[in-house]
Amino acid sequence: MADTQVARKEEQAVERAPHTVNETIYAPDVDISENSECVRLVADIPGVDQKGVEVTVENNVLTVEARAAVEPPEGYEPLGREYAVGKYRRDFTLSNAVDTEGIKARVRHGVLEVTLPKREEVKTRKIEIEG
Amino acid sequence: MLELVTWPRNPWSVFDELESLQSDMNRMLTGQPTREVGRSGRAWRRRSTYPLMNVWTAKDGIVIDAELPGADPKDVDIAVQGDELTLSGKVNAVDAAEGETYHRRERPAGEFTRTLQLPFRAEAGAVKANYKNGVLRVTIPRSEEEKPKKIVIEA
Repeated sequence: MADTQVARKEEQAVERAPHTVNETIYAPDVDISENSECVRLVADIPGVDQKGVEVTVENNVLTVEARAAVEPPEGYEPLGREYAVGKYRRDFTLSNAVDTEGIKARVRHGVLEVTLPKREEVKTRKIEIEG
Repeated sequence: MLELVTWPRNPWSVFDELESLQSDMNRMLTGQPTREVGRSGRAWRRRSTYPLMNVWTAKDGIVIDAELPGADPKDVDIAVQGDELTLSGKVNAVDAAEGETYHRRERPAGEFTRTLQLPFRAEAGAVKANYKNGVLRVTIPRSEEEKPKKIVIEA
């Protein structure tokens, strides 16, 4: 696998979690992109606000945990359910190219965006050709 | 040197198809409808249904939550006509910036339209919508003339 690849481990997380906690944990859909400066991770976590998200890095594993807080409307009875509301979690293994000190995250409209800058020594540099 | 791996736009589509084939087979063998679960396990419906909705009802109206993470409220149209609600618009329709390579694209992107049949005629002028944290909540009251009326029995 490529050096800069942010590999996914969420299968283990999803399988492991229900045995230790009494609730189901869902893996959010993510987009992962990269340019010469940073890796960008975008995750759909509908129903979660800024306070409901936790992004942690431990031993080169980035963990996204979030809890959706959507109150059902008062005085109404459920009629149909196409999706569940609860907890999200997904783990990503970071490569050594990521500068873990500089990771930034923000939430807007139920979307989490994590920016993972690359360390100076691994950034792609354009070499000027003398001549 | 960095090695770049480019993933197909939706690397999971092959699994989705396998899953759908498998559930079709199960249906054929058992005659029972199988619950079709999305890859994340959160969705009871196939991924081709967008946006996913949860619905609540009461005597005088209905409330619909639709998951539209990342949508710009300006890009979402809500239309209520008679007993039909139509949500349409676009989400995440952003192409990769220059020099940006995608490794993984799982989030739905593009245009969508979904029409829902309501159990009553709606009071279109009184429909309310609220978009919060990626969830659109539409409250649709039942039209006045359709509301059940209590008949007083004369003595």
